[in-house]
Amino acid sequence: MTTRPRLRDPATFVPGIVAVALFVVLSAVFLNAGFGSAVGFGGDVNITATIGYALMGLLDVAGDSAVASEGFLAAFIIVAFLLDAALEGSVLLATRDTEGGDGE
Amino acid sequence: MAVAVEYYLLLSAAVFCTGVFGVLTRENALMFLISVELMLNSANINLVAFSHFYGNATGQVFSLFVIALAAAEVAVGLGIILVLYRNFDDVDVTNATTMRW
Amino acid sequence: MAGAFDFTAAVPLLPFAAFLIALIVGHFAPRLLPKGGAIPGILATAGSLLISAWLALTVSQGDYHTETIYTWVVGQNTFDLHFGVLVDPLSAMMLVIVSLVAFLVHVFSLGYMNDEGETGLPRYYAGLGLFTFSMLAFVVADNLLMAFMFFELVGLCSYLLIGFHFREAGPPSAAKKAFLVTRFGDYFFLIGVVGVLATFGTSRFLAVSEGVESFPHLAEQALLAAQGEGATPEHVAGFLDVVGFEPQTWFAILGLLILGGVIGKSAQFPLHTWLPDAMEGPTPVSALIHAATMVAAGVYLVARMYGFYALLPTVLAIIALVGGFTALFAATMGVVKDELKQVLAYSTISQYGYMMLGLGAGGYIAATFHLMTHAFFKALLFLGAGSVIIAMHHNEDMWDMGGLKEKMPVTYYTFLSGSLALAGIVPFAGFWSKDEVLYEALIYGSGESPILLAGYAMGLLAVFFTGFYTFRMVFLTFHGDARTDTAEDPHGVGWNVKFPLVVLGVLAATVGLINMTPVAKLTGAHIEYLKDWLAGPQGSAFANIGYEHYHHLLVDFAGYGADESLGVLVPAAVSLGLALAGAGLAWRLYSVPEPVEHTEKLGSIKTVLYNNYYQDEYQVWLAEGVTLPLARAADTFDQGIIDGVVNGVSSVSLFAGGRIKRIQDGLVTHYAALLTLSLVALLVAFGLLGGWF
Repeated sequence: MTTRPRLRDPATFVPGIVAVALFVVLSAVFLNAGFGSAVGFGGDVNITATIGYALMGLLDVAGDSAVASEGFLAAFIIVAFLLDAALEGSVLLATRDTEGGDGE
Repeated sequence: MAVAVEYYLLLSAAVFCTGVFGVLTRENALMFLISVELMLNSANINLVAFSHFYGNATGQVFSLFVIALAAAEVAVGLGIILVLYRNFDDVDVTNATTMRW
Repeated sequence: MAGAFDFTAAVPLLPFAAFLIALIVGHFAPRLLPKGGAIPGILATAGSLLISAWLALTVSQGDYHTETIYTWVVGQNTFDLHFGVLVDPLSAMMLVIVSLVAFLVHVFSLGYMNDEGETGLPRYYAGLGLFTFSMLAFVVADNLLMAFMFFELVGLCSYLLIGFHFREAGPPSAAKKAFLVTRFGDYFFLIGVVGVLATFGTSRFLAVSEGVESFPHLAEQALLAAQGEGATPEHVAGFLDVVGFEPQTWFAILGLLILGGVIGKSAQFPLHTWLPDAMEGPTPVSALIHAATMVAAGVYLVARMYGFYALLPTVLAIIALVGGFTALFAATMGVVKDELKQVLAYSTISQYGYMMLGLGAGGYIAATFHLMTHAFFKALLFLGAGSVIIAMHHNEDMWDMGGLKEKMPVTYYTFLSGSLALAGIVPFAGFWSKDEVLYEALIYGSGESPILLAGYAMGLLAVFFTGFYTFRMVFLTFHGDARTDTAEDPHGVGWNVKFPLVVLGVLAATVGLINMTPVAKLTGAHIEYLKDWLAGPQGSAFANIGYEHYHHLLVDFAGYGADESLGVLVPAAVSLGLALAGAGLAWRLYSVPEPVEHTEKLGSIKTVLYNNYYQDEYQVWLAEGVTLPLARAADTFDQGIIDGVVNGVSSVSLFAGGRIKRIQDGLVTHYAALLTLSLVALLVAFGLLGGWF
């Protein structure tokens, strides 16, 4: 740092009050909502295996140790595709233009 | 004795609001991005809590997707911050106010 | 000869065709019109004249006609608006007069306009054609609204023709003045027309078929009901309830409103100021429009609606007094004028005053008789003046003339014939008609309506002045020695000038013989041809527009009773004596080789008369001092308040927009804050409404 250290001006924290208000509202809503008791999972179920079978869309061959779930094969493929796109996008953004672009 | 689902939701709300607080008050773009990550993770907590509440693994599978998407979003976000730095010579979000009236 | 009525619509439409030809061909292919549109005009008016004569012949055999030509608004559960024709003795007579004078004026224009090398002739002949069309259509109109429309149209044509030489300073100003003054009167006329339509549900003058009504007849029924006989017609009763007046009062108001237009168009006091200025137009225009036909439109309208006016004694008295006053008032002003056409203009105003006096005094026959004779002799005088003006190279000042008698004999003798008629010297036409007007005023005045005697007195006094100014004009122009070189060697005039003068000269001398009432009364001979012509058929639906019916209305509703104890000879002798006295005074003063301006001896009286009693200045003051500030105030209100409200709304919108846009300050964290705030607000709102808490 070549500039002297500066403390944060407390005035910049003022917008944070909104975040606090949001927390108050959310907690009020959640605590007043009447949830029943949680179902939970059974004793010797294999959640990780279930996740694996669900991702592959192979729930019907999962066997007894699986918990109830849904098939996510399509979503899996799409997310893979999306990650690919994100990689390309970030590389594109990071490429330095030889001309200098709109650096003004 | 399982923890009641309301407390998980409360935890999720607290983390979310911490993230919102960060978005509203932070001026460094990287801290802004970290706050956004916090918000995403609070959603994850919420998903897993309800997965336990209903005894269905769908919530946990979905949260995996959210994690993957968060990663993708960070990658793109960092790219944007890089371009921001190139244009404004600083990662201060309060500095980059040219798109105004 | 029933075929004549099929051609009724052709009478106005032929001049309209001439108008279109002069306008269109004159603009696009001027070389096809060698005389600038005169030939189509002459042919069209000659055709109208022939058809009008044929119609008059048919009507004289007792066969009248009314027909709806075109219904232009078909009313749902209310009245219709239509164009239609009504051919009865009055309108047939007027058609012949108008088309004859129009024809002669067109022929005269060949000499006055074409031979003098005027430019812009297609515009002139188009204007004449449009005018003739409007006037003829006005004459045959069978309802008041149609009459109003053509009344306005003749006013427009007058404006166009007066302002013919629009590149000079005088004519456009005079045209504007003529249009505005008559328009002022026509405003009241319009309100009257609307009033008539609203009150009676019809504006027809005469109804002949079943289920159709005419407003004079409905008015008569309403007044009978007010006197206790019969029931008020339903529509009239309904409207009278709305208005809250007695029938007599309300009908009088309507009559006075329509009279506003009549006073404007026939140049009666106080709306007479436009007519002297209108002399800026070419002389044939003055002869046609401002002597014989357009100014006659007002008087003709009252005669057409006489079945309505005869019910209203107050309005008749007002008409008579306005007419008598105008006759005297204008005659005094005519005495001091120096320009030939100005004397004739004031003479026209004065003579129309006589006609109004005649109508107001219950002398329907007398007034229409004077309308006819005046049309002929005044047109003759104006055309004669036009001939003199051509000869004097367009110099109108009488003091520059003199001695033209030897050099322009045809003009002189015809002019003399017209002057004798105007002054009312027996046996020329003006004597018989003017004398009858005064006689009617006298007998009804000394009978049941003494107020008419005031009109009689004014009219009688005006006879003296009329004789004086007429012969002053004749002697200054034609007698004595020539006072300038132009007068010594005047420009010659051709046959196209002399022919109309001769025709009208003969008419001015002889047309009086058709209704010599004094002779008829003294000898008992049935020679009152005009009275028989206008009497109206007994027992047919057309009886309501005949003189017999009007006389009966005058006696029963207006309370007119005649006192004929003075006989006919004494009043005739008095008026003839006054006319001869006036003429004799003028002869003594002006029929000398070198006349002097004797009117200077009147001193300040002459200044007042010469300045027209300052009426023109007074009206200009009304426009500038009264109307203009009012208009400015209305404009300020419109700009400040009405526009101000609209502008205020827009400025509020702009200001608000200007302030609110500053929220968009480019700072992302502020946007996020707003988002979050909105989310909190929504959650709270939904929570409260949905009972989450």
